[in-house]
Amino acid sequence: MSAGFLLIHAKPGRTWTTLLSWTLFALGIALYFYVSQARHRDNPEDRVMPTVTQMARGMFDAALKPAEDDEAQAPATTFTQRFLGSMLWKDTKATSRRFFYSMLLLIPAVLLGLHMGLFPYVGAFFLRFVLFFDKIVALSLLPILFIAFGIDELAKIMLIVIGVTPTIILDTFNLTRAVPAEQTVKAFTLGAGDFDVAYRVVLKQIAPRVLNSIRLNLKAVMLFLFAGEMIASTDGLAYRIALLRRHMGMDVIIPYVLWVAMLLFLVDFGMRLLNRQLHPWFRES
Amino acid sequence: MIRIDNVAVSYGTPPRPVLEAIDLRIEEGEFVCVLGQTGCGKSTLLRLVLGCEQPQTGRILVDGREHRQPDRTRGYVPQKYSLFPDKTVLDNITFGPEVSEFSLFGRLTPSFYRRRREFREEAFEYLRRTGLRKEDARKYPDQLSGGMQQRVAIAQALMTRPRILLMDEAFSALDPGTRKDMQRLIRELWRATGTTILFVTHNTQEALRLGTRVIVLAKESPDQGSRVMLDLSVPEPCHESDLPHLVHRLESVSEGTRPEVGQAPRFAGPFRISPAC
Ligand SMILES: Nc1ncnc2c1ncn2[C@@H]1O[C@H](COP(=O)(O)OP(=O)(O)O)[C@@H](O)[C@H]1O
Ligand SMILES: [Mg+2]
Repeated sequence: MSAGFLLIHAKPGRTWTTLLSWTLFALGIALYFYVSQARHRDNPEDRVMPTVTQMARGMFDAALKPAEDDEAQAPATTFTQRFLGSMLWKDTKATSRRFFYSMLLLIPAVLLGLHMGLFPYVGAFFLRFVLFFDKIVALSLLPILFIAFGIDELAKIMLIVIGVTPTIILDTFNLTRAVPAEQTVKAFTLGAGDFDVAYRVVLKQIAPRVLNSIRLNLKAVMLFLFAGEMIASTDGLAYRIALLRRHMGMDVIIPYVLWVAMLLFLVDFGMRLLNRQLHPWFRES
Repeated sequence: MIRIDNVAVSYGTPPRPVLEAIDLRIEEGEFVCVLGQTGCGKSTLLRLVLGCEQPQTGRILVDGREHRQPDRTRGYVPQKYSLFPDKTVLDNITFGPEVSEFSLFGRLTPSFYRRRREFREEAFEYLRRTGLRKEDARKYPDQLSGGMQQRVAIAQALMTRPRILLMDEAFSALDPGTRKDMQRLIRELWRATGTTILFVTHNTQEALRLGTRVIVLAKESPDQGSRVMLDLSVPEPCHESDLPHLVHRLESVSEGTRPEVGQAPRFAGPFRISPAC
C-alpha cells in the first residue's frame, strides 16, 4: 500500500472497481426515489416524477395493451400476441425500420469514401463538395427537407443521410488514405488490378475501423431520426415521447427513454460482436 | 534488364534534388545492393523502378519498356507493412496467383476452388523453403515475429515468380541473429531461382554479404542530389576477413568524406571498382 488512494499509481481491487462503477447508478436511482416520494407526499397528483408503480403500470399498458387504432380487432390472448399488438411494439417497429434504411444507406457512403481515397479523380470530384456538405447543420435543413420531400418517410431518411453520411464518407476516406502505400504497391506487384486492391486489400483492411466509426455515429443517426420523428410522424418511439409530453405522461416517457437507450446499447453491442466475429485479426488499439 | 538513363528526381517547392544523373545497367541474375545513408534516396530509386513514380528527367527501362505502375514483373518486399494484416499466412502467400488468375467475380466459379487447392499446395512448398512451419500457415501476420513476417513476405513475392525482386530495407527491423539467417535465406533463394534482386540497405556489411554488386549512393554536397558514388563488383564469396576494410572504405564514400578521392583504387585482385564520377 505504498501508492496512495486517488493517485495515478493506485491499484483498486476488483471488488472496489465494480462497486465504484455502480455507485452513481445507485445514487441516481435513490435520489429519484427520494425526490419522487417527497413530491408525492406534497401532492399525490404529481405528474413530473411518477413513482415506480406508476411507471410500471404505464409501461405495462404500453407494452401489453393494444394500440389505439387496433382496438377493433379480435382481442389477443397470449403474451406474445398482446405484445405484438401493443403501442410499444408498433413504435419500436416503425423506428427500427427507419433506422435500418439509414444503415443501408451508409453502405454507399462507405464505398464512396473508399473510392475517393483510392482513385484520385473520384477524390478530386467529390472531396470538396463532401467537406462543404459536412459543415451544413443538418437540422437547419429540416424545413427545406419537409418542403421538398413532403413529411413522409423519405424526408426523415434524407435527414439522417444528410446528417450522417458526410461524416462516414470522410471517415472512410481518411481510413483509406491511412493504409500504408506499401500495401497497395505490394498488391499490384502480385498481379492485382485496381478493383482487387480496392475491395480485397484496402476495404477488407479498413472494414473493422469503418464499423467502429459507424458505431460511434449511431448516436448521430438516432439524433436525426428522433428529430424527424418528433416533428413529422404518426408513429415511432420519438413521436410517442413527443406526444406524451403534451399530456405530461412521464410515467411512459421515462420507461421509453430507458427502452431506447437499451435498444441502442444492444445494437452497438451486436455490432461489436459482429466486428470481432468477422475480423478476428483486428486488435483494437 | 534494368536500364536507368540519366535519371533525376526532386521534391517540393522550391525543388530539392534527391537523385541526380543516375546511370545504371543491371543484368539478368545480378544481386545488386544499393547502399546509402538514410534519406539519400534509396527508396526513391526503388519506387522509380517499381513504377510508382516517374523521374523528372531521364528514363527507366525494365526489359526495354517504361512502366507507369507496379506490376507482376517486379516483386516487392518492403521493410514494414509487407503483409496483408487481414489475411492468414496461407492466404497472403496465395494472394498473388489468386488475383492474377481470377477477377473479383471469377472467385465465384467452381474452377477457382480447384485452382486454389493447387495454389495452396504450392504455398506450402514455399513456406517450407523459406523456413516456416506448416502450423504457421493459419496464423495472422501480427501473431508472427518480425523475421517470420519477412519470410512470409518473401514467399508471397516469389509465388508469382517475378523476374526482378525489389527489397527495401527488408531486414533492417530485425535483430542481428535473425538478420543473418534471413541473409543466408535470400542468398540461397537467389541462387536457386535466378531472380534478379535489387536490395536496398543502409547497412554496409549486409550489402557486402549479400550482393554480387554494391552501389553506393551519396550526395557530393547537401544541396545536390545523390549520385552513384561507387559501383563495386563483389567476388563470391566475400571473405569475412575483407569485410572490415571494405566496410570502412564504403562508409567513407557514403558519408562523403571520401579520403581516397583522386587515388587509384587500392583493392587488389577480384574487386572491380568503378567510381562513377
Ligand atoms: N513523396 C515525397 N515528397 C517529398 N519528399 C520526399 C518524398 N519522398 C521522399 N522524399 C524525400 O526524399 C529524400 C529521400 O527519401 P528516401 O528515398 O525515402 O530515402 P532513403 O530510402 O534513402 O532513406 C528524403 O529526404 C525524403 O524526405
Ligand atoms: Mg527508405
